[in-house]
Amino acid sequence: MKTERLPETIQRNTPMPATPRKNRQPSSGKTVSQQERIKQEEFQEEAVAHINALYNYALHLTMNPDDANDLVQETYLKAYKFFDSFEKGTNCKAWLFKILKNNYINKFRKNAREPGKVDYDLIKDFYHSIKDAQSDSEDLNAGYFKSLMHDEVYQALNSLPDEFREVIQLCDIEGFTYEEIANMVESPIGTVRSRLYRGRKLLRGKLNEFAKKYGYNTDTEEST
Amino acid sequence: MNCKKAQALLSAAVDGELSLKEQQEFEAHIAKCADCQREFREAQKTKNIIREKIVRFKAPQSLVNSIIRLTETTTG
Ligand SMILES: [Zn+2]
Repeated sequence: MKTERLPETIQRNTPMPATPRKNRQPSSGKTVSQQERIKQEEFQEEAVAHINALYNYALHLTMNPDDANDLVQETYLKAYKFFDSFEKGTNCKAWLFKILKNNYINKFRKNAREPGKVDYDLIKDFYHSIKDAQSDSEDLNAGYFKSLMHDEVYQALNSLPDEFREVIQLCDIEGFTYEEIANMVESPIGTVRSRLYRGRKLLRGKLNEFAKKYGYNTDTEEST
Repeated sequence: MNCKKAQALLSAAVDGELSLKEQQEFEAHIAKCADCQREFREAQKTKNIIREKIVRFKAPQSLVNSIIRLTETTTG
């Protein structure tokens, strides 16, 4: 899609601007119950605050901004419908990630990548679509995308088999606990541990490959 | 603790997910095992590289708006 807007990047840990909390009066046309309004406000405070994290997760899963958009919308639609079943005080972000992941599996099951396999064509297409979009609107975040395309770390992470990439992403990028990750990937904590161990080992190997190939210094060698 | 056990605990040590007892045993092991210590440091660095270098995107404003609208038009 040529006219597609490129996603903007954010600084890690940038808090979402608080959702404006107008004291909404029931509009004259449509009566919203008091209960419904409380739910809306709670939902916006608890759930909408995680939209950037969810969008990034969706981007990583789908490798496609349009699909990521759809996936996040469907996730929030579902989350809002079942918001009553969300246990207050537990991790809302983890709850949303789980919904998104389930949605993704249901939606893309047919084309879903086999665990342990990497769809290099998909990754290639992703980079190509970025390239196309970039040449169309050189000024719009082009720099970020250029750095993304050439970024050895990003490519290294994406080249990992899904089962490893996923736990690394959930742990190192999103900061979930092992218990939360185990729940999300529906595996025992021991499996999460060993996937992280093996995943990081693989990743390190990839980073070293890139470092050699492009002459980068990944600055990971101990000089002991 | 032997090397095999230390490796099984290595990722959890990197992520601060060990129990106090495991943490103490793990530290005692890497204090005298250079191989496991090196592996531990490398895993830590790999984690840090991912945390620092992966580019994060901002959800498009149109998406944010549509989610907010959604809660206003959907009855849960
Ligand atoms: Zn050892």
